[in-house]
Parts: sequence; C-alpha cells; structure tokens
Amino acid sequence: MARVLTTCIYCGCGCGLYLESDNGKVVGSYPSGNHPVSKGGLCVKGWNAYEVVNKIDRLKTPLLKTNGAFKEVSWDQALDFVSTRLTEIKEKFGPDSLGFLGSAKATNEENFLMMKLARAVFKTNNIDHCARLCHASTVVGLKAAFGSGAMTNSINEFEDADLFLVTGSDTTEQHPLIGSRIINAVNDKGAVLIVVDPRKIELAKYATIHIQQDNGTDVAWINGMMNLIINEGWFDQEYIEQRTENFEQLRKVVQTYTPQYVEKVAGIPSGLLVRAAKLYATTKKAMIVYAMGITQHTTGVDNVKSLANLAMLTGHVGFASTGVNPLRGQNNVQGACDVGALPNVFSGYQDVTDASVRDKFENIWKVNNLPANTGLTVTEMFKKALEGKLKGLYIMGENPVISDPDSNNVRKAIENLDLLVIHEMFLSDTAQYADLVLPAVSFAEKDGTFTNTERRIERIRRVIKPVGNAKADWEIICEVAQRCGYKGMDYSHPSEIMDEIAKLTPIYGGVSYDRLDPFGLQWPCPSQDHPGTVFLHKDRFTKGKGTFIPCPYLPANELPDDEYTFILSTGRIYWHWHTGTMTRRTSTLDREVPAAYVEIHPKDAERLQLKNGEQVRVSSRRGHIEIHIMITEKVKEGSVFIPFHFREAAANVLTNPAVDPTAKIPEFKVCAVKIDKLKT
Amino acid sequence: MREMLLKKQDVKDLCLRASDEWETYVPLEEMGGDVQLVRVDANEKKASLDKLNLDYERLVISPKVIGFPQLEYLFEFADGRITDLARAPTKKLLFGLRACDLKAMLFVDEFFGRNFEDIYYLNRSIEKLNVLVGCKRPLRDCFCTSAKTGPFLPVRYEPGRGRASDFDLQMVDIDSAYLVEIGSRKGQEFIDSFQEFFEEASKQDVEHSATAKKAAEDAVGLKLDFEKAIQNFCEDKIPESIYEPIAERCIYCGGCLYVCPTCTCFNVFDEKQGKLGIRCRNWDACVFQGYTREASGHNPRQEKWIRTARRYEHKLKYDYLTTGMSGCVGCGRCLSSCPVNIGISQVIEKAQNI
Repeated sequence: MARVLTTCIYCGCGCGLYLESDNGKVVGSYPSGNHPVSKGGLCVKGWNAYEVVNKIDRLKTPLLKTNGAFKEVSWDQALDFVSTRLTEIKEKFGPDSLGFLGSAKATNEENFLMMKLARAVFKTNNIDHCARLCHASTVVGLKAAFGSGAMTNSINEFEDADLFLVTGSDTTEQHPLIGSRIINAVNDKGAVLIVVDPRKIELAKYATIHIQQDNGTDVAWINGMMNLIINEGWFDQEYIEQRTENFEQLRKVVQTYTPQYVEKVAGIPSGLLVRAAKLYATTKKAMIVYAMGITQHTTGVDNVKSLANLAMLTGHVGFASTGVNPLRGQNNVQGACDVGALPNVFSGYQDVTDASVRDKFENIWKVNNLPANTGLTVTEMFKKALEGKLKGLYIMGENPVISDPDSNNVRKAIENLDLLVIHEMFLSDTAQYADLVLPAVSFAEKDGTFTNTERRIERIRRVIKPVGNAKADWEIICEVAQRCGYKGMDYSHPSEIMDEIAKLTPIYGGVSYDRLDPFGLQWPCPSQDHPGTVFLHKDRFTKGKGTFIPCPYLPANELPDDEYTFILSTGRIYWHWHTGTMTRRTSTLDREVPAAYVEIHPKDAERLQLKNGEQVRVSSRRGHIEIHIMITEKVKEGSVFIPFHFREAAANVLTNPAVDPTAKIPEFKVCAVKIDKLKT
Repeated sequence: MREMLLKKQDVKDLCLRASDEWETYVPLEEMGGDVQLVRVDANEKKASLDKLNLDYERLVISPKVIGFPQLEYLFEFADGRITDLARAPTKKLLFGLRACDLKAMLFVDEFFGRNFEDIYYLNRSIEKLNVLVGCKRPLRDCFCTSAKTGPFLPVRYEPGRGRASDFDLQMVDIDSAYLVEIGSRKGQEFIDSFQEFFEEASKQDVEHSATAKKAAEDAVGLKLDFEKAIQNFCEDKIPESIYEPIAERCIYCGGCLYVCPTCTCFNVFDEKQGKLGIRCRNWDACVFQGYTREASGHNPRQEKWIRTARRYEHKLKYDYLTTGMSGCVGCGRCLSSCPVNIGISQVIEKAQNI
C-alpha cells in the first residue's frame, strides 16, 4: 500500500488529492485537507479519479498499423518507425510539413519537451495544443491589454470578494471547487452575483441579476456597460490616468452603445444593463470571472479585450479580490501554454520571431537555426492537412476527432495525412486513425507538474509502476529525439526538465522540485528566493500601463436563417470530461449521465411536437447527429445546447470551424442548426 | 485489570514490536499535513513510524476504508472459470483510533455481517485489536458528546464475560505519559504480551486522566439535542422544507457520503475485455441520480430534495430503528469535506427544534 499527494487530472482548479495504491493498482482518491484550493473537498470527478488508471482496456504495448489493422510491436520497432518516418517526411517535404500537438492533460515537462522536439529537432514551429480551442483568446487578449495572459487573481480571493460578474462560465459544472466558493460568498457573506449567460446556469439561481444575452453579442453588452459607466461618472478617473493608456479611444468607440442599441442587438432589457453596470462599477472588490462563453467565438479576442477594458475603466485590476479571471479548462492548459506548446512563443511567452530569444534557446539547447516564422495552429494544421501540405502529425494524447469543430472534416484531414503518431492511454477515436499508437502512462504512474488556473505550479507524484509496457510521455519524446540523432534530451527525471524550464523561462525562473512540496508555487516566480505571486499587476501592469483596446461589435459567423433556425452552443457538463475517454470509463460518472442529449426550450419542443427524451436529428450545414432531447428552461427559446463528451452523438459534427482572426479559436458557442423529428 | 501507563517515548517502539505480530495500522502524517490511518510498511517500519501522529485532529478518511476500500476487485472470470480475489483474513492492530471512528467501525462491522456475510469486508476486518487514543482537541464541527460517541468511551462489563468494552485499550494523554485503560480480555492479553512497555498507573495518574477526559469533553463546543432530533425523525415530524435549501445548494460531489464513517453503499461493475473480466465494487452515494434510477429510466428519487431527504432519514431514522444506534457518530467529516459547507449537524439542529 502506498499513498501520494498529487494533483487532480480534470479541470483547471488544480485540487489536491491523495492517490492510494494496493498491490500495484490504484484503489482510491481522497481530498487533501490542507490544500489551498480544495481544502478537504473534491468534486465528483476528483473523488472518482482513481478508477480510470487501471481500466482493463488501457493500452499496454505499442500498436503499429499494418495492412489496415493494428499489430503489437516492440518499443524498439515503434521508436524506429516514428523517428524514421518523421525524418523522411521532414527531408522530403521540409520541416513545416510536420505538425506537433502537445496536450493540456500532460505535464509541463512533457509539453516543454514536445515543443523542444518540434523546434530543436524538427525545426518547425508547428506546435500547438487544445488551448487553441479554449483560451487562445485569453492568451492573446489579456496579453495585449495587461501584458500577461493569465488569471489575474487567485482562488482564495473569491472568499473576500464583494461582487462577482460571471459571464460565459458555468462555474459549478466546469470548475466545481471555484463555483462552490462563489456559492459560499453569495449565500454566507452577502456577496453580489451578476451572471451574464444565455443559459439559466446553476449559479443563476443565486444571482442578484441574471442577464440572458443573445449568443455571440458579448462585445455589445460590455461596450454598453462601459458607455453607461462613462456617462454616469462611475469610472475610476485616477486609476485611468495613472495606470492606463488609450482611454479617449475607448470613449469614442463605446459611445454609440446606448442601452437601447444593446437591447436591440443583444436582447438585454436596458434596466438590467444599467443596474448591472452600476453595481459592478461601484463595488470595490469586484471580480470578473469568465470562461469558454467569452472565448469560443470568432470575436473571442475582442470579447476578452472588452472585459479587460471594463475592469480597467473601473479600477478593478491589481488588487486582491478583483481582476479579470479566466478559468482555464484543463488541469494543465495554463502550464502547456506557459511552457510554449504554442506556435508563436517559446516557454514563458517569449516570441519565436525575436532573434535574441532564439539565441538564448539555441545556446542552452545546443542547436542552430531555430525556426523564426510563426507556426501553424491546431485549426490551421487540419486545413493544411486537407490541402495535402501537412504530411505528418505527432499528437500527445489529444483527441481532435471528437474535440475539434466540424469533425467530419477533421476526419478527412487526418485520413489525408501520410503519418499520424499518437501517445494515448486508450484507443481513442483519433488513435484509431493512427499509423502508430504509443501507450502512455496515466498521472498515477509518473512524476511531473501541472499549472492550475491561478498559475499554481503543482506536483503530480507517481504511486504505481507503469501499466504494461506503457511509458511516460516525456520518456517517449526523449527516446524519439535520441533516435533522431539529437543529444540534448537526456534526462533521468522530470525535475531536470523543470530545471531547464527555469533556466530558460523568466516567469518560472525560481521554480525547482525541491520548492514545490507540498502545494506548489504561483508564477511569476522569477528567482529561487521569490515566494511566488498571488495576484498580478499590483502597482503596475506587467507591460507597464494597461492599454484600453476598444472593439466594435461584430456578429457571430453563422446565425440562424430560414432553414437552420436554432442557435447551437456546446460545452461541458459536471459529470463528464471533454471527449469522455476517461469519464465515460468511470462507472459512477457514466452511470449518472450515460448518453448525449440536446437541451431545448419547452416552447420550441411544443412547437416541434417533441416529447422529453425523444430521439431527434440535429443538423447543421456540416453534418448531422441523432440525439435525445431534454426539455428544459435552462436554454432560451430558439437556442439549443449539446454537451460535447459523447462520441456516439458528437456535437462537433455540427460546429462551425470559423475562427477568430488572431487567436484562431473556433466558434463553438454559436452555429445554426435545425431539429427534425425522426420518422417512426 | 488496572489502568496502566505507557511512556510517550515508548509508543513508536511498541508499534514497531507489535507490527512483527500484527498487521499494524497507525496514524501517520502525510505530505500536505493530512493524517491517515496507514499500515506500517513492513520494509520501512522505522521510517514510516517517524511520521506517527497521535495528536491529529481528524483522519480525512475514516478507518472504514481498511475493510471497505474505495475500489475493490472481487473476482476474475474467464471462460466460465471464476477466481475469487477476497483477501485472506489477517490479525489487525488499529492503533490510535478516535472514539467516534471506532463506534462507526463497529456499526459497519455489524452491517456487513447482518443479513449476508460479506467476506470481502469481513476477511479484511475479522480480527481487530482496537486501541483508542482519546481526542484532546476536538474540532469546532465535531459533536461526539451529543452523539455519545466520545471523546472517550466507558469501560463496560458483561455478565459472565467481564470487561467487554467497545475498545480493547483506551489511551488518555496525561501530558507526561498515556494512561491506558483496558477494555477487554484481548486488550489485557496485548498488555501482557508487551508488558515491558507498560507499568501500573498510580492513583494520581488516574485522577489526572479523569481531569484530561473532562477537559476534552468540555472542549467539544457544538452541543446538539441528538435524542430529540432522532425522536422527531422517528415520529416523521421533519417537514420537507428543511431539505429543499440543502438540495438546492448541494453540488453533488458525493463527498459527505464517501467520508461518512458509517456509509457502506457500493456499486458493482464489471471490467471486460474479450473473454476476461473482473468484477469490481466501488463506493457509491445515494445523492446520485444513477443510484436509484431504474432500467426503464424511471427514477423514484428524481427530485434532488428527495435524494437529500433520504440520506438524512437513513442516518437519523432508519439506522436508529434497525440497530438502535444513529448512523451519525458526530465526527463532523461531512461538513469539513463539503465544498459548500453543508453538514448533518445543521440538519440535526433544525430537527431538534421542531
């Protein structure tokens, strides 16, 4: 029997849990009583995180596709295959014919190595990961406004906030241990809650004001609020003068966003907007909390910048219990971004186009000619694969066939590749398309770190030996690099990789494993004697002065018409995780919600003569699925919602691959669909 | 049988020696500061005992986990052959239990043998020697004095059997040493076989222990009228309205049931691949919809508040009617593990005032 303190694998809360093993199998997960985030609690997924580790269908040996069927091969054969094929493609078609996907589920060390493999060994910046699909807009938007693309404040500060403006975050479902802080602050401490969300989410029942804007109209209502705040004099003149720039420009842009205009465009009664604007602007400790409802739009970056504008206008950044707080989705999506699994930056958001940065990395990595051009994003990689320009794709544990928009097209793109290599724990839908599947270990079988949504770099710790012949992602990458003739990836433990990250990455400069026991450090942590940072932008913004970047409202890319009459948005639910590869293998979770459903308003159901639970066909311009309906007032009339966890009724068959022009994030939150009764 | 003394500096050595004979479980402090009742590692006995902590506030997970792990593999099946995976029974020494946890464990022991002998549980917990260490600093959410489960338990006698207390040995911290009360013949035998660690306590030591017990009792701040609450539950006087706000606020993590030292519900599922299968069971929780949903999809407890009501009625009514003991021992874990601060003490408080 053994027990280790480790970090949960699901959402960005980064809760602390103990994993227990018995006879080499993981048999329990328990909360950590003293953990700064979870404080003795866990959500249902954390409580059940033990089960997926020892599933009987875990991949235990490399699988090579021969004549259309997988055959078990040795690690030697597998590694030879991958290094030979990647090298061949690079030599024949050039480095940029290869693409690499890190993973927001893997550790910081592994994502760092994945980007090192892409850049140092294969000389391409075509490295990205699923942050593209969730918070790419945040990274771009907040970096432009504040100089840092991360959550400004910390989870413990929720307890002392006097007001929350929660928008586009179904917090109790997606980040349960943050949602619970909000519930407690509102119910027990009298904090004010403003929810701006088209759906009647769980938190709406605690809200002083719930604004149900039309999907995809966020810039309009945020500009509308700012216009009111400026006109009524509720803004913070001194803060604006001392700490920001470009205010006049903002004033000009937002002045046309009158309450009447916002009511027309976004469907928000003007009285509600006025009340919400006044409450937010005039409450001192006011936190903005947001997630995918803001970011997953073709205007995702504009949405984020607008929230940043709103917070600066009212002096709500740089103090405890304030700020602009993106809740990062995956356990390590913050970290995977931090360590540079992105096509435009190395670790610590250091630009690949900056020659002095490349020099620094070339010296430490002992390589020449690191690529200087910005690489391809996930969404662009599939486009290039369809065009036949991307030939090889190396994926670490992602499942784009279910997670990416317009999945029929993703399948076509993947089929068009000459080579697909994937690290996986299970034979996922994407793995089935692979030429080579490399069995990867779970979080219980390796050491490493995850960085949670509040920038806390936390340890995961090994409690059992690898299942079968599976290996840790970092070990696999090192072996691939070595077989490709690169000598600079020879580590005996992930702590050595973290030492290299610290050397190259100013915001992680003071991080080393001996400092991470028990509950980690929050970056920026630039030096060994730095205690870490609870909230950002104290006294000055990371970039100096905060910049107002006003954005005009633009409608969503695809809106309902005569044929496709409903607006579809997609998202997660409490009981499941993303493409379901883990939660659908977890008995308690899959029992609770065993099948996909589409939420539809009672009036729409009545009009279409649909009964609760009935199977319907939902179609968009890109494809169709069959799914049963759940009649609920949670959605507005004319809108439907589908969770994207279910492969048998995959929401992403329907979604629109149109992307934000800078962040390249797809518009998961708005597309047009129709609903047809099935003929009986 | 008299009270004995155990010097504090001898406790580790005693555990070390005992672990040669017994499968020994002791409270060890883990990284992160939590204390768990952990089996002394046979290979690293000394090192693991360095983390011994008898002054702990509360084990996050109750000792029920020793007999009833969160996930257990019951048997394997392949081609019609079944291989049972039940553990062989072992002699276990549970050293450093709190009184409330022991009361709960006895409750669970009884449950798993009541109608059907659950060998998976019983084999793991069949022969136990229970050594209590009374609570010195009760937490503010504990209410053992109201539930009559602690912080210390009385020595009990049974006609013809002599001492037959719930505990085998009970240790009282009297600063200079532990005063050890003997609760059973088994406890006496343990003392006899490790007699070099014990000496007879003086009258002053015994007086000192009485003072220490009283101080611990007084330190339990939360006082509830447990009997009145149970009576009101048994007489069906509890209005539905008390469950609704709880159900509204609950985030359905299941934590209060997982940590509850008397919760015994499990789900059974099979792991299958090809012809091979493993039957497993894991902790379940009655607040989940899937717990009562029927094959047709109909759920007799569809509404949240009904599931909530059932949980409290089970603990405070049905358990009492079946066993004469409440299913709540006042350990306070449900509250301390709840992300939205719901605890059974709040329900008891409302129920007693009806």
